[in-house]
Amino acid sequence: MTNTTIAWIAASFFIGFVIYLLPKLDRWLALAMTLFSAGYGISIFLLDLSLNVQLLDSFGVTLMVDRLSAWFILTNALVTTAVILYCWQTGKKSFFYMQVVILHGSVNAAFICADFISLYVALEVISVAAFLLIAYTRTDRTIWVGLRYLFVSNTVMLFYLVGALLVYKANNSFAYQGLLNSPTEAIALIFLGLLAKGGVFISGLWLPLTHSESATPVSAMLSGVVVKTGVFPMLRCAMLLPEIEPTVRIFGVGSALLGVACAIFQQDSKRTLAFSTVSQLGFVLAAPAAGGFYAFTHGLAKSSLFLQAGNLPSRDFTELRNKGIGLKFWLPLAIASLSICGFPLVAGFGAKVWMGKNLLSWQKMALNVATVGTVITFAKFIFLSPQTGSEVDKETKIQSGFWVAMVILLGGLIVGNAIYYEAYALENLIKPLVTIAIGWSIYFLLLRKFIVKLPRAIEQFEHLIGGMSLVLILIFWMVKMRASVFNYF
Amino acid sequence: MLEACVLATLMCGFFGIIFKQNLVMKIISMDIMSTGVIAYYVLIASRGGLYTPIASTKEVAYADPVPQAVILMLVCVMKLAKNNPTLETSVIEKNNTP
Repeated sequence: MTNTTIAWIAASFFIGFVIYLLPKLDRWLALAMTLFSAGYGISIFLLDLSLNVQLLDSFGVTLMVDRLSAWFILTNALVTTAVILYCWQTGKKSFFYMQVVILHGSVNAAFICADFISLYVALEVISVAAFLLIAYTRTDRTIWVGLRYLFVSNTVMLFYLVGALLVYKANNSFAYQGLLNSPTEAIALIFLGLLAKGGVFISGLWLPLTHSESATPVSAMLSGVVVKTGVFPMLRCAMLLPEIEPTVRIFGVGSALLGVACAIFQQDSKRTLAFSTVSQLGFVLAAPAAGGFYAFTHGLAKSSLFLQAGNLPSRDFTELRNKGIGLKFWLPLAIASLSICGFPLVAGFGAKVWMGKNLLSWQKMALNVATVGTVITFAKFIFLSPQTGSEVDKETKIQSGFWVAMVILLGGLIVGNAIYYEAYALENLIKPLVTIAIGWSIYFLLLRKFIVKLPRAIEQFEHLIGGMSLVLILIFWMVKMRASVFNYF
Repeated sequence: MLEACVLATLMCGFFGIIFKQNLVMKIISMDIMSTGVIAYYVLIASRGGLYTPIASTKEVAYADPVPQAVILMLVCVMKLAKNNPTLETSVIEKNNTP
């Protein structure tokens, strides 16, 4: 299996460059690569594999493959497949497919590496590939958005590198386990890098603009899988090192609340989705043991929502409400939204129940509030009035690739139900239904009538970097405090 | 002492990123910061000794080869990451905010 793993990781980069040499085969090669990844992810589940690989000698690259990585790999494979099929007839150049496959491969690499330097390399390749994809259309705006993304991620990765060095200084190795014996600064610096890269909490506020201004298939990939590369190492560290876990959980809850509070008030569909990503990543971090399945359901639902939002006649909710949308549009929109809200019959329900079982008592209240917020946010999508046979239906032409992508993503959400079928017990069913009822009533009674505009100052480029230094101090303080509390007992 | 110098370089770069208004200056500041990071890696590598770890018959205090190997790779990656945007700053600065 070790050889397969290495071949699989190398294949995506190899195929990426082959695509550039054989532009005629671009889509087929890209599709073959994602299917390979899907097969690899599923085979980890079937074999119940847990692989620890050390390449070269004792200082070499370390890899770690287990069920947690399998969830993320599978998400990546499905989302990339859907994106490639979505773009099938759009006449994208082979350069686009090359970047998609390289991005796919580097994201996979981030999901299996087990030391800080391999992770750094994977994250940096992701930044470059994601930048090229964001800037693919070459308009001034996308180039600026891409540069902003690259600048922010490069800056935090410098902090991350210093953290990685401090880990090495303390342990003579870059392995994740070394975080335990490292000084507090090391943990703070590394976590700043990962939080910013993963779009979590204040340091993740670069995300809404980037994800909402990119092209539709690119934002589906960014929101569906790319941000999870920052979240995954934190989950991994939290599961390997119990001392780190409380910090991760606190940031998860903070991010869940912050993201949803911003998402409720957005009037733009893509910005709503982007802020909801910030919040959902918080949910993933809040319960590390259940994070894999949650990330899977969120990845599928969010990328399908981004693909749909890109095909709606407008991005403004008021306009969409007045115009109405076609029934065939509304149906996938409703399925994906309900999954994120945790409605039974869709996989999001199982993920929410699983997460609920892994929460600590102090988290429960906060995350219930965040879930109600999520329901309110997605009520904006669910209550767009569907109209059959209207003009709206006819005037928007959609390529067949869109429907294939929907079948893969939403089909994944429905089949995903079977994975955690134990969730379907009566006591588990009541809670999400009550939550959804509360959320929808709040939406109808209060929020539908008011339009609140949140200031966007904090998302300005200057403030992003400043905000990051504040988060750095916050993490440092949190880790330090935790250490002194442990000593006290 | 050396460590303090390295950290000062790092902070200089970071403050440059925050305080400079011009995008090019920001990118140059980021370069300074990455110089600091690289210097820090070299510094940690030299804790064991100053000799380059090449096979020889003499027993000498070797520098730690791992951070050196890592830093070579990092320099490559960073250059890759930065070459693209610097070419296009003139276009971007015209319309800074979307």
